[in-house]
Amino acid sequence: MGDTQSHHSDPAASKPGAAGFSRRQFLYQLAASGMSFSMLGSFAAGATGHLQPVRVGSPFGQYPNRGWEKVYRDLYHSDSTFTFLCAPNDTHNCLLRAHVKNGVVTRIAPSMAYHKATDLEGNRASQRWDPRCCQKGLALVRRFYGDRRIKRPMVRRGFKQWIDDGMPRDSHTGEVDREKYLQRGKDEWVAVSWDEAFAFSAKALSNIAETYSGEQGQAKLAAQGYDELMVDATKGAGTQVLKFRGGMPALGATRIMAHYRTTNCLALLDSKLRGVGPDEALGARHWDSYTWHTDLPPGHPMVTGQQTVEFDLCNVEHANVIFVWGMNWTTTKMPESHWLTEARMKGAKIVIIACEYSATMNKADDALIVRPGTTPALALGMAQVIINEKLYDEKYVKSHTDLPLLVRMDTSRMLRASEVFADYRQAELTNNLTLLSEGESGPNVLQQPGPVVSSAKRAEWGDHVMWDAQANKPVAVNRDQVSGKFAALGFDPLLDGQVTVTLADGSAVQCRTVFHANRELIDASYSPKQVEKITWAPADAIRRLARLTAANPEKTLFALGMGPNQFFNSDQKDRAVFLVAALTRNVGYLGGNVGSYAGNYRTAFFSGMPQYTSEDPFDVETDPNKAVRTRTCYRAESAHFFNAGDRILRMGKHSLTGKTHLPTPTKSIMISNSNSLIGNAKGHYDNVVNSYPRVEFIGVSDWWWTASCEYADVVYPVDSWAEFKYPDLTISVTNPFLYVFPATPLPRIHDTRSDIEVMAGVCGALAKLTGDTRFNDMWKFVKEGQARPYLQRILDASNATRGYRLEDLEARAAEGAPAILQTRTYPKWGGYEQAHEDKPWYTKTGRLEFYREEQEFLDSGENMVLHREPIDSTFYEPNVIVAAAHPLLRPKRPEDYGVPSAQIDADTRQARHVIRTVEELLATSHPLKKDGYNLIFHTPKYRHGAHTTPVDLDIIAVWFGPFGDMHRRDKRTPFVSEMYVDIHPLDARDLGVHDGDYVYIDADPKDRPFKGWQDKPEWYKVARLLARARYYPGTPRGVTRMWHNAYASTWGSVHGSQTDPTGLAKNPATHYQAMFRTGSQQSCTRAWLKPTWLTDTLTVKGIYGQKITQGFVADAHCANGAPREAIVKITRAEAGGLNGEGLWWPAEQGMRPTYETDAMKKYFAGGFVG
Amino acid sequence: MPKRYNWQLDREMEYTYDGAPPKRQVAYIFDTNKCIACQTCTVACKTCWTSGKGQEHIFWNNVETKPYGGYPVGWDKNLLEKTQPAKWDGQKLTSLTIFETDGPNKQPVGYRPKPEDYASPNLGEDEVAGMAELGQHFDGTHPMWMFYLARICNHCDHPACVAACPRKAIYKREEDGIVLVDQERCRGYQECVEACPYKKVFYNVINRASEKCIGCYPRVEQGDVALCVESCIGKIRMHGFLTTDGPPREDNPLDYIVKIRKLALPFYAQHGTGPNVYYIPPLHVPNGFLEQMFGPNVEAAKELYRQLAYDKRLLGALLLFGASSRIITRFEVQGEEAVGWDVDDAEVARVPFTEPVYHRPHYDQKHAVYRHNTA
Repeated sequence: MGDTQSHHSDPAASKPGAAGFSRRQFLYQLAASGMSFSMLGSFAAGATGHLQPVRVGSPFGQYPNRGWEKVYRDLYHSDSTFTFLCAPNDTHNCLLRAHVKNGVVTRIAPSMAYHKATDLEGNRASQRWDPRCCQKGLALVRRFYGDRRIKRPMVRRGFKQWIDDGMPRDSHTGEVDREKYLQRGKDEWVAVSWDEAFAFSAKALSNIAETYSGEQGQAKLAAQGYDELMVDATKGAGTQVLKFRGGMPALGATRIMAHYRTTNCLALLDSKLRGVGPDEALGARHWDSYTWHTDLPPGHPMVTGQQTVEFDLCNVEHANVIFVWGMNWTTTKMPESHWLTEARMKGAKIVIIACEYSATMNKADDALIVRPGTTPALALGMAQVIINEKLYDEKYVKSHTDLPLLVRMDTSRMLRASEVFADYRQAELTNNLTLLSEGESGPNVLQQPGPVVSSAKRAEWGDHVMWDAQANKPVAVNRDQVSGKFAALGFDPLLDGQVTVTLADGSAVQCRTVFHANRELIDASYSPKQVEKITWAPADAIRRLARLTAANPEKTLFALGMGPNQFFNSDQKDRAVFLVAALTRNVGYLGGNVGSYAGNYRTAFFSGMPQYTSEDPFDVETDPNKAVRTRTCYRAESAHFFNAGDRILRMGKHSLTGKTHLPTPTKSIMISNSNSLIGNAKGHYDNVVNSYPRVEFIGVSDWWWTASCEYADVVYPVDSWAEFKYPDLTISVTNPFLYVFPATPLPRIHDTRSDIEVMAGVCGALAKLTGDTRFNDMWKFVKEGQARPYLQRILDASNATRGYRLEDLEARAAEGAPAILQTRTYPKWGGYEQAHEDKPWYTKTGRLEFYREEQEFLDSGENMVLHREPIDSTFYEPNVIVAAAHPLLRPKRPEDYGVPSAQIDADTRQARHVIRTVEELLATSHPLKKDGYNLIFHTPKYRHGAHTTPVDLDIIAVWFGPFGDMHRRDKRTPFVSEMYVDIHPLDARDLGVHDGDYVYIDADPKDRPFKGWQDKPEWYKVARLLARARYYPGTPRGVTRMWHNAYASTWGSVHGSQTDPTGLAKNPATHYQAMFRTGSQQSCTRAWLKPTWLTDTLTVKGIYGQKITQGFVADAHCANGAPREAIVKITRAEAGGLNGEGLWWPAEQGMRPTYETDAMKKYFAGGFVG
Repeated sequence: MPKRYNWQLDREMEYTYDGAPPKRQVAYIFDTNKCIACQTCTVACKTCWTSGKGQEHIFWNNVETKPYGGYPVGWDKNLLEKTQPAKWDGQKLTSLTIFETDGPNKQPVGYRPKPEDYASPNLGEDEVAGMAELGQHFDGTHPMWMFYLARICNHCDHPACVAACPRKAIYKREEDGIVLVDQERCRGYQECVEACPYKKVFYNVINRASEKCIGCYPRVEQGDVALCVESCIGKIRMHGFLTTDGPPREDNPLDYIVKIRKLALPFYAQHGTGPNVYYIPPLHVPNGFLEQMFGPNVEAAKELYRQLAYDKRLLGALLLFGASSRIITRFEVQGEEAVGWDVDDAEVARVPFTEPVYHRPHYDQKHAVYRHNTA
């Protein structure tokens, strides 16, 4: 061996040899097959290079043929590079460097320049921030040039026909003929010019607004069967039935926010249609974002009065203990994962709580596997131990929380000082509060030192009462007296007790402290033994974690993820975790805090956003250097109501939807950057089959043909991040940076435009249609090719960005560096002012509140902190309050709404307030269990997709689980990979399901995959979930899992898989590529509405600036969903072996769980060591 | 057959060729405790090097979940079944390597994967040995476990691919020890594919040649780390050179971590190839499996890792992982910072042990604005 001569005496002539054809033929074939130039180059080098045989001595010495190495140097070479920002709503925001060769982006790399980020004072980030990127961002080279890029504006044929026919409608109801014009999903597509796309859109918007304007318009809506409260909510303005949504608007301050600017300027249309002036004119409605994604932790505003508390994830290195709670950190916060593992290196203890052995759990020092949806009880169990063992920080609790305040036992309300003390005069509040008298608008956001509220509201709040334990008398306490300012008072309130208070009118009333009320409930219901029964977590583990937390005040961080957030009891999880954190002095500190990590929502950092979204359309400012006058003409509502069938929450005949939350009927939808709204919505198929046919126009802007495009009427092709011609801005909740999306030098690959140009174009067409040129003025700078004036206005007007010049930010971004946000600290963390500066929270009491006195909470039995069972994902009776009897627990019974308690269907469950003790609960079962629905099915997010971006690229999809195969040997496989359900091997065996088999997964047949599926077999075939089963030993028995990040089956993809001989699940008309044969993970989910998320009474700070308001605030207090809830039945469909024969091959080979060969078992045990 | 000293086995070993070691040896450290299996390394490699036809299923770099995962499927277990169980006498291997098993002048023991073994590159992702139970609570060594193993070519001291190639089309570069398959000379016999114990040489059916990780030599030649290293957001990787012309140097982070502190261990060293990707073993996995994979020093390495908080120099070296695109050839801990220099002795990394914290005043006079954290 080692001979220098091969069998081929003339390598130049014969390579590649074995097949016996010549190099020339081979090169020809390569060229014909479209092989890349770069690889061709390697052969070209060979062909022109060493034609003489080479003699090699030792392969360790001087190798004689090194010249060939040039091949890879050439392949590596780039002609030029540029930076762009990758921001698919994953909170990271990576500035990436694109390498260009021959005008084409060939690869992408991290910018390695985050350490150049500075703030206005010159403080600088370190190299510990580099690199920032992930596999999805680097794979984008295949998405910029992929076959699902939308190459030109597309219009659905039936929609075009409707426009061409003059937009005919039923004369009575105003409805559009569904059979003729609304065959979405099945219809053909027509390529049109941009001008035509804009003209069609403007005609549709205008026609819909006109149709539903005035009393006649409202009558039509009523005739179509919409809820009367929803019809009333339009106030007769037809523009109010037009809905807009930019997908996570924080991700595009002008580009995505352009949708919101449009909603406002549609007041011009209303003004024309109804003949009303600027004061009365209403714009369109925009849908929520953070709450639509069920990302809001709804209990945060209930405890703190503001949207969310969180901390930059790098802060974990300041903690001793890090709870990773229902958060699959390493798969969803990838670029921040090293902070966690490095904190561990430096000695922090990582505690991971999940309902499976999660991907993150292999980093755990302490791990706990719990029953899904039960962590409110887990936290309450910890609280019980902390209270019972007196491990809480009494001083902190008394000065920072409402726990020492008194509650009246008769009314269940907080006791007010005015009730106790005769002629009580409310204190003048001076601690960081700005009070506004009637009609006063107050300082602009830049000059707001802290919370701003109306004097009337402050008067309603009143002052509260504590009991002086020493003097044995009530004491008035006001909102200013928190933290150090409370301590300075020098009195020691009763924390745990009940007292009789003599009121000013002479009557006596029984009162308890909030601490006592909650403590009694917790003691009776959530002892570690009881919590073990609810959660499966061993009582000893609960005690241990409680003691660990209490031993680390200011040094325990709670990072909560999307897992528990996507349950119906999400707010209870927040309230309970805050209680544990508050008891142990772990709120608002660098190393001790609570954070919620779902979504990227902090548009609040752009507090000057109204400069863009609320510019007065009747008085447009066209001087780029001047600030604008604002006028808010749009209204916001939650998209969850549309998702719920365009209905509100009613129990019996009672509306449980707060007036401030009421939606209008939805007749038009325009979205951008948002596959979550249509294509990957919970209850997707119910929307497709039952809700979209009531919508008359759907316009979708995207740069990739998603499932949302499949069901649109007009699809607007927009620039990819690599082709931006307009710069834009964004921020992040998990890191401290301010980002620019740079405009790039890459020429547009297709006939695309910017998102902002799409909105400008639609408004331009409205200007033509209405003759109102103000529609054009609103987009004057865009028409001149500019977004910069809008961006600079936002920077100038926002607290965290004022001082930055856009040009500077763009120059840094071009080098790959962001800037640092000008918040109070770097890194940033919520609750800083409250923990360190004696400032009140945004609540009525100024304290962290653990008692909710508002009527909606009393009626729901949620005035105290407690646990409710999940609403669908439970083996037991769903959504019951799990608690012992308590004198303050007096919810409305179903009968109070005229509904029998025995009625337990999914819709009714939403407001069914039935109380069970822990022991009673365990004796119940889910109503569908008797029919074989006995597996919890949850749908978390995962590492191979940021939502659905870019899961349908081959080099990503092939890693997406175990069923990847680039060559698609099994023709049933919808793509080079496919979605699967993770099931415990023993559960699968009980069902007769083998590893790799195809299974059907069915949820509640009453409403899933869509209501009325029994009568629509052709749609049922599209919607019923069929997927592979994977034996997954990491989920406990009874719990199954399917990732959220997959492209759903559509009518077209199912049609494609059945007609294409290769079986590829690709829509032949649109190239849409599904990762399922039929259905999707959303076949098993649905919309859910919770009464305490729909109140008119909760005190909560608005999004922009410091103003405190009440009731509905989009993205802070509104409907929030429960998309992780489902209990399912799984049945075997087909064998997993090649083309349906026998076992799936890895199982056949003994490589799989429960199929292991002896050698495999020996390998696991380390048996190959002598 | 010549004898070569294999330091990982603490003994001489029969090998096909003799030859001096390279002037310096390219080497990598992968910290499994930090790996998150994001596959960013995989895609960074794929998009630059293996995007051509015939390379669809080829991933020079991959990350697999142990114990169920393997790309190609079952690669390590399959070889273990064909070789002697590893026997260690202290640091010395007493069992036979793949070069010795079948006797002198024979091909190294190996096997050739079937084409379908390259499908399902992520088979076994996240799957644990053992089964999760309701309400399980554990710490220390996990009762059920898995961990992520990032894999590239090991650029071995004694490569099996080099030994197996009938055309001597594979060589080890004398300047940096990178092992390359000469794409001009290779005739696609696939002996290297069969011999490589790590299955990191691949056959390209379009080129009809074998190919493998090139150690990103066009970057290494410029002093830059490999693409898989640069893009590693878990910051699990350090790329550099082991000293071959003298004793290990304290200020060379590779020497320091691998040879002086022995925190990072060679991977299936018992096969005898002298692999140069060194792994810090995962803390939570039982030692039996780990010793089969990383040899006899697993527990000692784990203990070092557990004590990192008190081992400033070692911790400093580890915090330099991922800090720079430049190869760090020298490092120091200066106060609360770790500092690294490149081959030109330019400072290329300066990382704080803890990211600094800056406070700003409530009212910013200069810009006339209140600043808030609670926005």
